[in-house]
Amino acid sequence: MSFRVLVIPEDPTYNGYILQPLVERMLAELDKPTADVRVLTNPKLNGYPHAVSAIRGDLIDRYRHFHLWLFLPDGDRASDLGSLEGELAGQGVHLFCCAAVPEVEAWLLAGHRDKLSLPWGDVRQHTRLKEEVFESFLKEFGDSRSPGGGRERLMRETLSNYRGLLSVCPELADLDDRLRTFLSQSA
Amino acid sequence: MIEQITIKNFKSFKDVSLKLGPLNLFIGTNASGKSNFFDALRVLQGIGYGFTIHEILDGKPKSATSEVWEGIRGGSAGIGFASENANKPTSFRVVGKFPDEGDRSFEFIIAFSSKEGRFREERLSISGDIIYDADERKREPFPRVRYYGKGLVKLGDADQDRPVLTQIAREGDRAIELVVRALADMQRIDPSAALLRAYSQAYEIKRMGEHGENFAALIRMICSDPGTKEAYLSWLRELRPRDVDDVGTLKGAIGEPMVMMKERGREWPAPTLSDGTLRFAAIAAAFFQPDMPGVLTIEEIENSVHASRLRLLVELLRSRAAAGKTQVMATTHSPIVLAWLKPEEYATTFYCKRDEETGESQIRPLTEIPQFNEIVSKQPISDLFAEGWMEAAL
Repeated sequence: MSFRVLVIPEDPTYNGYILQPLVERMLAELDKPTADVRVLTNPKLNGYPHAVSAIRGDLIDRYRHFHLWLFLPDGDRASDLGSLEGELAGQGVHLFCCAAVPEVEAWLLAGHRDKLSLPWGDVRQHTRLKEEVFESFLKEFGDSRSPGGGRERLMRETLSNYRGLLSVCPELADLDDRLRTFLSQSA
Repeated sequence: MIEQITIKNFKSFKDVSLKLGPLNLFIGTNASGKSNFFDALRVLQGIGYGFTIHEILDGKPKSATSEVWEGIRGGSAGIGFASENANKPTSFRVVGKFPDEGDRSFEFIIAFSSKEGRFREERLSISGDIIYDADERKREPFPRVRYYGKGLVKLGDADQDRPVLTQIAREGDRAIELVVRALADMQRIDPSAALLRAYSQAYEIKRMGEHGENFAALIRMICSDPGTKEAYLSWLRELRPRDVDDVGTLKGAIGEPMVMMKERGREWPAPTLSDGTLRFAAIAAAFFQPDMPGVLTIEEIENSVHASRLRLLVELLRSRAAAGKTQVMATTHSPIVLAWLKPEEYATTFYCKRDEETGESQIRPLTEIPQFNEIVSKQPISDLFAEGWMEAAL
């Protein structure tokens, strides 16, 4: 039976194109190359508060059959994720949270730093990364004819240097470590 | 792009007016008027082709210069709104903007009698200036046309059973040609799995046929450019992650193409592919045609597509409509399709409802249904649609 992973984004409309290949690659690095990774699309989440409310509510019974839940929100509004993990653990759900700094789009941009006009440190601290940096980047280097405007291809390019991604996004390195420990303990 | 359409005395429409956007969805129960609206678009297309009223409504066989034209459902006998006087004309008003021409806009008004088979009134304005008008043809042996080109008013005669628009277009006025194109350049897509599985007759095409004729030739064209192929293939990969590696064509006995998909390293010819995969592939391919239409119409977009992949269909329609070349008009019965709309798209999502007593169809944007904006912020739009809330609220 495949190892089933539920990825919970704040908004699945476009984040899925970044998160699906990211999580698949992360699990492949952890000897789970055939893991069944699903990005949550029902209910269609609409922002951080909605996602947290759903995690605490309807999702538990509906998606309990997944071996692992990953909640990957933008970092700008995420808070007290440790408590959320604890709450779900109490109900028998393995939930790991990892907030992107500052937003999920930064994980894609991490592999394209040479194409950005900002130093990486400034990208990590940007308060309007999506609107003021990512959209123009996608317009120039994506493909508006493709799903997600080409996000998935750009993310796969980032993942071609997976270790490099972890080195500039420490929150992902932490998630990688936690998953490694979790998988070794549950093996 | 067509920005506004007003329809009077046509089938189940007594008088409706719609403001359109790049992506337009039409929802409503069966026989609520959705298909009648698409029939109205087809009448406008026939006008753009310069067909006679009877040809537009009753059909036209293939000729040296045109393909077979299927008439409007019901033909000329059932065109007028049921309770109206049989002599009352059917009329259309179309307001639009020219592509790549800044803010230049046009307003085209046309009225015709399906019973008499002739046009009764017609007027074209460009950015507020009248280009020509023609009316009261009944009093003349031929309609009198006043043409206001280049500061001179010219009077002339025109055939009364054909639109003046296409007769004047022969004069070479570019603005008129653009209006003709805006009306004529519509494409209906209703793929048939049987045709999608077949060999194509053609090798190179600019557009696929309405039911998927020459689908394989279109795929061959798409695959001839690596960038276009990759963009097209990425939609198929999203439809079936981990399955679809490649898309292309196989050759028949005389080199005619048939669609093929490569899945996990093995080639699967079109006859072995599922209806849903082929239908999605055809709809996606329609957005990669070398010659894109101004308006693309698709009825019941969700047919044969798995519920979990409908978000992809919505994204396809949205992203290609946003590119600006092609305006999309589609019908759906799927609550899931609605769930994937953005709130700003509710203004061009139209609910069609037919009054049980009068038989009259209304078409309203969701944003104009009483209390919709308030309710949809609290309840999922898919639930509202599935339970018939809109039907009751309108």
